[in-house]
Amino acid sequence: MNAIDVNNLEFGYKDNLVIKDISFSIKAGSFVSILGPNGSGKSTLLKTLNNLYNPNNGSIQLYGKDILSYKKRELAKKIALVPQDTNIEYEFTVEDIVMMGRHPYKNRFENENEIDHKIVNESLELTYTLNLKDRIINQISGGERQRAIIAKALAQKPAIILLDEPTSNLDINHQMDILNLLKKLNHENGLTVVLVIHDINLACRYSDEIILLHKGKILGIGAPEEVITVENMEDAYDMKVALEKNKYTDTIHLTPIEIKEKNKNFKNNKVHIICGGGSGQEIINKLYSEGFELSLGVLNIGDSDWEHGRNLNIPMVEEIPFSGISNQSYQENVEVMNKSDIIVISNVPIGSGNLKNLLGAKDALEKGKKVYYIAENSQEYDYTEGEAKKIIEEMLKKGMQSVRSVDELL
Amino acid sequence: MLIISLIFAIGLFTTIGTAKVSVLDIFKIIGSKVSFMEKYIDISDIADSSKTIIWNIRLPRVLLGALVGASLSMAGASFQGMFKNPMADPYVIGISSGAALGATLAIVFKLNIGIFNIPTITIFAFVGALLAVSLVYNIARIKNKVPVTTLLLAGVAVGQFLTAIMSFLMVIFDKDMVKITYWTLGSLSGKGWEPVLTIALPVIICMIVINFFARDLNILLTGEESAQSLGIDVEKTKTYILLLGTFITAISVSVSGIIGFVGLIIPHIVRLLIGPDHRILLPASALLGSIFMIFADTIARTLISPIEIPVGIITALFGGPFFIYLLRSKKKSI
Repeated sequence: MNAIDVNNLEFGYKDNLVIKDISFSIKAGSFVSILGPNGSGKSTLLKTLNNLYNPNNGSIQLYGKDILSYKKRELAKKIALVPQDTNIEYEFTVEDIVMMGRHPYKNRFENENEIDHKIVNESLELTYTLNLKDRIINQISGGERQRAIIAKALAQKPAIILLDEPTSNLDINHQMDILNLLKKLNHENGLTVVLVIHDINLACRYSDEIILLHKGKILGIGAPEEVITVENMEDAYDMKVALEKNKYTDTIHLTPIEIKEKNKNFKNNKVHIICGGGSGQEIINKLYSEGFELSLGVLNIGDSDWEHGRNLNIPMVEEIPFSGISNQSYQENVEVMNKSDIIVISNVPIGSGNLKNLLGAKDALEKGKKVYYIAENSQEYDYTEGEAKKIIEEMLKKGMQSVRSVDELL
Repeated sequence: MLIISLIFAIGLFTTIGTAKVSVLDIFKIIGSKVSFMEKYIDISDIADSSKTIIWNIRLPRVLLGALVGASLSMAGASFQGMFKNPMADPYVIGISSGAALGATLAIVFKLNIGIFNIPTITIFAFVGALLAVSLVYNIARIKNKVPVTTLLLAGVAVGQFLTAIMSFLMVIFDKDMVKITYWTLGSLSGKGWEPVLTIALPVIICMIVINFFARDLNILLTGEESAQSLGIDVEKTKTYILLLGTFITAISVSVSGIIGFVGLIIPHIVRLLIGPDHRILLPASALLGSIFMIFADTIARTLISPIEIPVGIITALFGGPFFIYLLRSKKKSI
């Protein structure tokens, strides 16, 4: 069953729509993160889900019933919000604050009874804040306060909890602490968790589903692997990023590489890099962050430079693992080089297996392409009994430029 | 405990005055007026002049002071909660300047439109206060929302504007200046039973109703969005509190003039002593406000007796330093 169904939702002011025609569903009992750059409408979407904002168009259904048909108090029994700013300047005790979560169940003339105290105690226990209950809310740490505010939300006995950047002011320990707590409530109590978060890696690690927003629209929705892709990140954040599977958590790990916007003027230069065995990493990184359009090849699948290129989503000419370059991939490589403006050769060790890369480069040089050779250190590279050295010297004569380092190249 | 102190304070401060009457005699006089106790209390040994002074002058004055002090303090406490602003007082949204302008108009134009024996100045002050607040409210309203910051700023702006008109009138009609100044400083003198009986019922009812919003006010302190997500209709609640607070303040101001400081500092003092929970804060502010008010009024009428000092001067004179002392000694932020 769906906890939330959003249909063609639109919110904002006349010429400034914050949310543009959004539709999606959230399954009951799922853990969903809303991601997106600043100003993409994340918090606004979260607040419309709690009926804090009235949409211009479209509808939101909670458990199949239109959100507008819920009375305010009834809605507060179904859905709880943990706002971004949990700062409370007044000297309420933690227990007072959590007791406020019972408000939807009390009419104006009613006092809190045994049941309310029991539920408040349970909420405090679930969030490990029972020992803090007599402390003043503004005298406990940020992480403790966040847990207390979650306890207040739990005292509402909701089916859905919405959280607006619950980890944004916390250190890494407390960030995980809060997310572990939410995961526990999600697993053990069947609570549907919907949160807005900036940390993509944590979102991927904890969420069943991710909703990626960009300029008020959904750029991607689904499992983390489906949504967090290099292309989506580039579109949403204007960032070049590298994605890999984190070997400790076995979830997607994102490393931001460079902001895209800055380097618009470099975009036209296509650079093909001949590398392998890790010799290309520095070249790839530096040229990539300068904004050049890169291609690599020929690389054996599984090679460390191949893995690097895959994480950065760079197009590559591939060869099956541990084998020499076949004629087919050689041809492919030549074609790619024909489309490039510049070819860079790292000081990759050349053996019989990858000699064809050098030949391909020579071919390109003869066709008039600019070729650079990075002779980083006078390390021995020739494993072809002089053949490779001969080709390189020949190429140098024909106009290939030799540089000491990537920086010199730039 | 505060209730007992209030009763005791009423008795005590009624005794203090130019004419000496003992506390016991006072309770006897009051008791003798309650029908079923009449026959058990012997007041024949008390001088008739004392009886008159106590029953017709001091007691109504003390009770009026208690009512005014309670309304101002409770209105102040609820406004501070609603605005989430420690500088808010009952006058913050233009009540005082509206009332003052109304009173000034009545004084300078010597208007007389007696309704039910209520003085014209009182009526004008009351209407002026309500008009000023509704003006402020409508200026601050954006669609159906009233952001508190806008409300506060609109209150300050309208207040300054109305005060300017009042000052202008005072300059033009300079022979009324003293009377106007005295009115704006606030006083409880020479009112008799009439205003007490007129305002008691509406003020007490409003104060009881405000108390039913105590939990909503608590939750509002944690933020308007939090409050809304807990099922509170924030805008409606703000409007109710604004209406009730404005009403009791306008009533108080119209009978006693602008008595400053009580509505600002009493809620702060109570908050410093017992915390921010409005379920206790509101009634405690009302009671402490009453006690403080009749204490200040007693000083106002006895300090340089028989000359009366406007009670607003006393409230500020005593309240200010005491508040500063509390602030420094508690070292808590308010």
